[in-house]
Amino acid sequence: MAEQAADPVLDITDLTHRYGDLQVLAGVTLRVQRGEFVSIVGPSGSGKSTLFHLIGGLVTAESGTIALAGEPVAGRRGLVGYMPQQPALLPWRTIEENVVLARDIAGAPRRASRELARQWLDRVGLGRFARSYPHELSGGMQQRAAFLRALICDHDLICLDEPFSALDAMLRTEMHRWLLDLWEAERRSILFVTHSIEEALLLSDTVYVLTRRPATVAERVEVPFPRPRRDEVVDDPEFVRIRRRLTDLLRNETS
Amino acid sequence: MTDALRRWAPPAVTVVALIAAWQLYTTISGIESWLLPSPRDVFAAASEQRTVLGEQVAATARLTLLGFTAGAAIGLLVAVALHLVPVLRAAVYPLLVVSQNIPIIAIAPLLVVWLGFGIAPKLVVIVLVCFFPVAVATLDGLRRGDPVIADYLLMSGANRRQLFTTFQWPSALPAMFSGLKIAATYSVFGAVISEWIGGDQGIGRYMIVQKSAFRADRLFVAIAIVVALALLIFGLVVLLERITVGRHAVGRRDNG
Repeated sequence: MAEQAADPVLDITDLTHRYGDLQVLAGVTLRVQRGEFVSIVGPSGSGKSTLFHLIGGLVTAESGTIALAGEPVAGRRGLVGYMPQQPALLPWRTIEENVVLARDIAGAPRRASRELARQWLDRVGLGRFARSYPHELSGGMQQRAAFLRALICDHDLICLDEPFSALDAMLRTEMHRWLLDLWEAERRSILFVTHSIEEALLLSDTVYVLTRRPATVAERVEVPFPRPRRDEVVDDPEFVRIRRRLTDLLRNETS
Repeated sequence: MTDALRRWAPPAVTVVALIAAWQLYTTISGIESWLLPSPRDVFAAASEQRTVLGEQVAATARLTLLGFTAGAAIGLLVAVALHLVPVLRAAVYPLLVVSQNIPIIAIAPLLVVWLGFGIAPKLVVIVLVCFFPVAVATLDGLRRGDPVIADYLLMSGANRRQLFTTFQWPSALPAMFSGLKIAATYSVFGAVISEWIGGDQGIGRYMIVQKSAFRADRLFVAIAIVVALALLIFGLVVLLERITVGRHAVGRRDNG
């Protein structure tokens, strides 16, 4: 899946960045092909969030390039779908109004956006919560709404920043299944940041392991398991072997 | 219904008990009624002064509402301006805080000297007491939105105007209403003070006249009216808050 098409949606080359004296990224190079699910794993504080801020245009890199679908985008905002660590839904908007938020900002026609939001909410089983407010939904449902918000804004790339890290283990497993099913049906290009190796291996086509700050790519792993991926894949000896290797790699990075 | 009863019954009983104790004390001690009138005297004064009071109350209510509206509007404008222009905020905000240490009662005579005895100096007094709580609370609210949401909106391409209208302004509403509630009670107080220092009508003017006549009973009536007026304007703000913030008020509280 990963290497068959040379059509990168996201192409990051030799990205370097520092905040004042603090060198955060030191030459990160990574690529997301069209329809590919790519994860980034790294020790905490390794600059994963900085990477997203750079891709999202909140900050401009010191050197290196970021290209979306071949276009350099340094410092330009509103070009990727984004799902932050917390759902970040506006408490005074209904779920439906929240899901269309990014489209509203982009100036998409309102009625069409509402229609699309409705279809998606129905499809993921949140249809009857369309008119509810975020506080009336469970944490998992809020995360699904936040994911839809990133999904329906029609950008080539969706960036997910540790979206499940605040959920309990049971709910996280449920969300993995949900995301896998949805993604395997849609095949959108996803860049997924996590600190869980297992999560990365379960979901992704390709995993990038970052070193500790200043971050570079320690290793790029192509995940060999077929799609659709089943939950039992985590018990596969090969899965266990790769997980062990990456865990050791990360441990050396953190110690 | 029973909830409301459980909530309002205890304070209501307390009030009735206090009035009863007051009545009892004045009857037993035989204190002069010009010094401390009994509740019965106060009620009698109220019903006797009905017509006169009606006009005075109307005048004060008009003045208060006008002043409150103007003060709140100016407070909001100041908050938004200081929020949008950081340089302005840095330059003006500290002075604004310090200015609150100037007692209004001390500037009031000066305002009369400058603006005469008409409605202008009275309005200025009310505006001065009202705008500050509104401005400070709103300014605070505008900065207190969840930074994660702000980041999300910026990543999604929101410009400053969109960030303000879709996020910062709605986040500021609960704080703004807190400021408005404080200003609502201040406004009646401001109106009464402004009528003391100069004016030919209003409940404040009425109090000055009754004080000269040692009519404590009528002063009590005036005090009751001032309190009622303050509660009324406070109630209006609460009503406005219910309409604006409405159903998701609970959610806002949950999400900080």
